[in-house]
Amino acid sequence: MPNQRFPKCKIVSSSQSSLSFELYDTDVSMANTLRRCMIAEVPTMAIDLVEFENNTSCLQDEYIAHRLGMIPCKVINADFKGGDCAEEFVPHFECTACEDFCDKCAVEFTLDVDYDVENGKRADDEKGTPVVVTSADLQSKSDKVMIASFVDNEERESSQDQGISIVKLTSGQAIKLKATARMGISKEHAKWCPVGVATYRFIPEVFLNQEQLAKLSLDQKKQLVDCCPDRILTLDDATGKIELAEGYEDRATFTEDLKYIQSAMKFHPEDEDFVRVTQSTNRFIFTVESTGSMHPEEIVKSALKRLQLKLSNLTEVITRLDA
Amino acid sequence: MNAPERTAAFMLDEDNGEQKIKYAPSTKVPNAGTFTFNKEDHTVGNLLRMQLLLDSNVHFAGYMMPHPLINSLTMTVQTSATHIAPLDVVKNALDDLQSETVSLGESFERGLREWHEKEGERGMRSREL
Repeated sequence: MPNQRFPKCKIVSSSQSSLSFELYDTDVSMANTLRRCMIAEVPTMAIDLVEFENNTSCLQDEYIAHRLGMIPCKVINADFKGGDCAEEFVPHFECTACEDFCDKCAVEFTLDVDYDVENGKRADDEKGTPVVVTSADLQSKSDKVMIASFVDNEERESSQDQGISIVKLTSGQAIKLKATARMGISKEHAKWCPVGVATYRFIPEVFLNQEQLAKLSLDQKKQLVDCCPDRILTLDDATGKIELAEGYEDRATFTEDLKYIQSAMKFHPEDEDFVRVTQSTNRFIFTVESTGSMHPEEIVKSALKRLQLKLSNLTEVITRLDA
Repeated sequence: MNAPERTAAFMLDEDNGEQKIKYAPSTKVPNAGTFTFNKEDHTVGNLLRMQLLLDSNVHFAGYMMPHPLINSLTMTVQTSATHIAPLDVVKNALDDLQSETVSLGESFERGLREWHEKEGERGMRSREL
């Protein structure tokens, strides 16, 4: 394997809802493939089939079914993080154990809310106001899958709602249904997408030409430092030396401001630049935000696993083709 | 109505004789051929093209998605010598990419372990304070 690269990863921060990591020693094609895999290839669970028994609410069946599909479902793994559903389930189309749906390829939820019953249970000052049916009212029939009403406990505590609103009920209205969640990928429908945000950006590389900078007056240096809206440069007043500001990598947005002001400062147009800001071609910062259906760390792991499966499948087919 | 089947974007319809990869050697250009990858898109296409271009035996490599509603991509590869077949360079590239993905996965896991160890230490220290 002559042209193999060995990419490296460094985690910048990680939480229940978002993950930021640095990827280096590879090129943009790998970074983009990883991003595309996270968005479109990672399997998750989502409600796909809804059977209504009773719906006297103000929304039509189809509308409610669509809203149910959008609710993230979480597969509970050993440490309650929201794991890879491919470890627990098989894709519905590939399930050989059943004709329709079974425990291996689907999870059933029930929803049964009646306004009059709910209203009776409430405190006196709340009586008469509409009942909000939320994702917290969906009862899972499996202990492996639960509804991810909130990304983490912090969000749960700060929220005024019990969960994700589905429909509001008022006097005389009721809703009763059976919903089936199955495994899918977001190439089929965006409701299976595990990420809200999956992006990468190029780490900036800033080159200071100290030889050229020494030729500038203190006033010009001040101008140069002040013109950059990202504040990537600092000026040491005592020595009059321009240095890179702390944390410049997080702030640089590749604006053209520095370019214009320094071309005006040059003694000859062909002089070298004082400061050059370029994009790195082999270092990337990824930001991954989960919808709640999976832990962001699991999303990246699953995306890499999917990519590897894809490639090994292609290798296998092409070897057969050759023979 | 006339919307394509949603699953057609990623599931190979083997019952109707769909093949994952088709290869057709070029009749006009020497040492060249065109691959058709069924149910694949830029995710694999661009990755494979860039990996092929790293290979010194590859003279030309390019891919295109013929149409947004056609779920296949065509990739043309030309090698630099007669004794090197386009099939072989593509196979090598796929092998390289597969081990790169495995190595990336390992390095990601290692990065996670290191980060969590460091965070754990910091958590302990702040509790002591």
